[in-house]
Amino acid sequence: MSNSQFRSDQVVEEIVQFNQNLSKGVKNLLDAEEISEGVTPREEIYSEDKLKLYRYQPSTGVVQNRIPTLIVYALVNRPYMTDIQENRSTVRGLLDSGQDVYLIDWGYPDQADKYITLDDYINGYLDRCVDVMRKRHGVDKINILGICQGGVFSLCYSSLHQDKVQNLVTMVTPVDCKTPDNMLSHWVQKMDIDAIVDAMGNLPGEMLNWTFLNLKPFQLMGQKYVSMVDIISDEKNVKNFMRMEKWIFDSPDQAGEAFRQFIKDFFQQNKLVEGGLELGEHKVDLKDLKLPILNIFAEQDHLVPPAACKALRKLVSSKDYTELSFPGGHIGIYVSGKAQATVTPAISEWLNKRS
Amino acid sequence: MSESNPWASQWFNAQQQFVDAWSDMANSGKQGKPSSQSDLWAQSFDMWRKASGAQAQPEIQQAVDKCFDMGKEYFAMAEQISKSLSSGAKPVDAINQWMEQLKGSLQQLGTVPGFDGSGVNDFMKQWFSPSQSWKEMAATLTPMNQAAWQLPGMNTSIFNLGEMVDPLGKMLEAPGIGYFREPQEKQQKGIQLAVEYQEANQAFNQAFLRVATESIQGFQARLMKVDPAAMPRSLRELYDLWVEVSEEHYAEFAMSEEYQALYGDMVNRLMIMKKHYSEITDDLLRAMNLPNTREVDTMQQRLQQLRRENMVLKKEVSEIKTMLQELTSRRPQAPAASSAKAAPAESSAKAAPAATSAKAAPAATSAKAAPAATSAKAAPAATSAKATPAATSAKAAPAVNKANPVPAATKAAPKATVKSSVKKSSAKKSPAKKVAKKAAPKKKSAVTKASKGA
Repeated sequence: MSNSQFRSDQVVEEIVQFNQNLSKGVKNLLDAEEISEGVTPREEIYSEDKLKLYRYQPSTGVVQNRIPTLIVYALVNRPYMTDIQENRSTVRGLLDSGQDVYLIDWGYPDQADKYITLDDYINGYLDRCVDVMRKRHGVDKINILGICQGGVFSLCYSSLHQDKVQNLVTMVTPVDCKTPDNMLSHWVQKMDIDAIVDAMGNLPGEMLNWTFLNLKPFQLMGQKYVSMVDIISDEKNVKNFMRMEKWIFDSPDQAGEAFRQFIKDFFQQNKLVEGGLELGEHKVDLKDLKLPILNIFAEQDHLVPPAACKALRKLVSSKDYTELSFPGGHIGIYVSGKAQATVTPAISEWLNKRS
Repeated sequence: MSESNPWASQWFNAQQQFVDAWSDMANSGKQGKPSSQSDLWAQSFDMWRKASGAQAQPEIQQAVDKCFDMGKEYFAMAEQISKSLSSGAKPVDAINQWMEQLKGSLQQLGTVPGFDGSGVNDFMKQWFSPSQSWKEMAATLTPMNQAAWQLPGMNTSIFNLGEMVDPLGKMLEAPGIGYFREPQEKQQKGIQLAVEYQEANQAFNQAFLRVATESIQGFQARLMKVDPAAMPRSLRELYDLWVEVSEEHYAEFAMSEEYQALYGDMVNRLMIMKKHYSEITDDLLRAMNLPNTREVDTMQQRLQQLRRENMVLKKEVSEIKTMLQELTSRRPQAPAASSAKAAPAESSAKAAPAATSAKAAPAATSAKAAPAATSAKAAPAATSAKATPAATSAKAAPAVNKANPVPAATKAAPKATVKSSVKKSSAKKSPAKKVAKKAAPKKKSAVTKASKGA
């Protein structure tokens, strides 16, 4: 520390600068316009209960992949993360590289939805969306891109309905939920999930937020805002920051029965790895997966560690299995400039070769 | 803090610039300028919090609040460091001095009965944000038992729960008597569960207090180890290093068996308590002849099961309709096909009697097809054909597509039927659509959108 340049006047100077940035930043924040959810034009194709299936307006002037791609997002956050801003949109990247992109928005479940099960989600809602797309495009099979928990749904769905899925892409998808570095999993091992669901009905989004933010509380609830002061003094950055901020705190409640099974079967009993997973009357075995799979994980993912994703390789029978490693985090994999330049084109290239 | 001290003067100028900047922005002057240095920052922040609150959208206000809160913590750090440096201390000594102060205040808090994260130095508040935010969230999840928090032993920031539990426990274990024995026992049980939750919550908070104190020692140790070339050279770098070290200590704690047990216990006890109070509320509602959670639950469960069965039935009906359409198209085609070409779609459909269609159906022997044959007999073929527009058959696609790469309605059926089908699916006013719309309005309209978008 003896080499440090710390001087009292330097500290004061820094804090004065911080003050100025903070005052400008807050002014910019207060002047910010309402934040939209997603940026790319889209059309509602199908709806059922609170679910909506959207089709994004295809890009003009690109050769279109004849097999449409369905993005299956997680229940725990909102899917507009994939289309958060004009220059940071996975959806836009896929469209521009010739994919015909659909996305399921699961909506916000309320207490009337608490008896919706994983079977209802996967063999019900998801299956009907796939059928709508197959019908619209006159194809037997579609491509599926599952993200995080949506990747788990996609794996289960594809293993049960392989006749309807041409190619499967999984992004930051937890398969082995008991790797030693999985903090989320570690926390739930001694939780009485039945007591939670019986007491709450649905799991409140606030509890999810609390959980996610407390995986790294100093970075996510402290440092981020100190660093933010530097960037929001430039008004151009305010809107982008607020989009992210809105998304982070936008966690829907979780339908009780689906949550009960998800945590017990996947996180506590690790059934995708250990076996014995059942959805309604259907037994799920990843060994049944023979279709082409592209498995993408993020090297610095604090929510879904890479090892949790990479476990997939040994569990499937696919002879066309590819892994793609992204040097970034769980969110950066959709929104960072690096991801736009590498991950999205890689997905499209992989899909185009197989469609 | 004397005005003649150069640090005090620098600091005051910085604060003044800060206040001026904020005051200009506020443009209100209503709050007045702070009169003393000690509360200058806090007053300025609060002034701005109030000034900005009325005009911001909720998300934005939330972000502004967080900026303010973190600003306060950051300033608390700057103030302490700057103060120590100005007294002539070397940077490392200045930081150590500050750390010792923080450690001392935490150790003092450790002796406070029922420590709940309150009273922590601004800078160390981040260490207690998990327990503080948990407390706030738990309060929103258990609105019905707020009264319980007011009981002796519940307000943990005032009372020592450990000392209260014994006498309270004895009181709560006293058997209920008389007509109101049962409700009394339930209330006693509720209080007992609330006490158990508070104990779990306190154990969680105490563990954070210990780990936060350890993290200060860890930070000091890290500073001693850091390569001189990599030493923080600014307040921000020092803050970032503090975040890094704190996050490491926190992660180690969060991945321990101890955390797993403490957190699990706290969550479980909160839920058990919440469920118990919900049951008490249910009893109360039942007594008032009002619907309660248990009854609504039963209805929701039955409803969901019915919806599931309904979806299966709809799919089966749709499959049967498609099969019928397929079978109709497979009957001896030569004359029909030529007449179909010549005749309008409606007459072609009429030309296919239901009986013929049923006889021609090889699937009639299967269980699924049996009711179809019956329904085909009951309904004129033309009606059946009308009721199978392309949009409706989307639901049946799974079964059909296994046999045919392209949906049967558009491939296997005779030209006339196809024409008819397509025409009807795009014609919004077709009778079949009206019928289907009545049966499933939401889905139907969605499918119509699909047709529009195709």
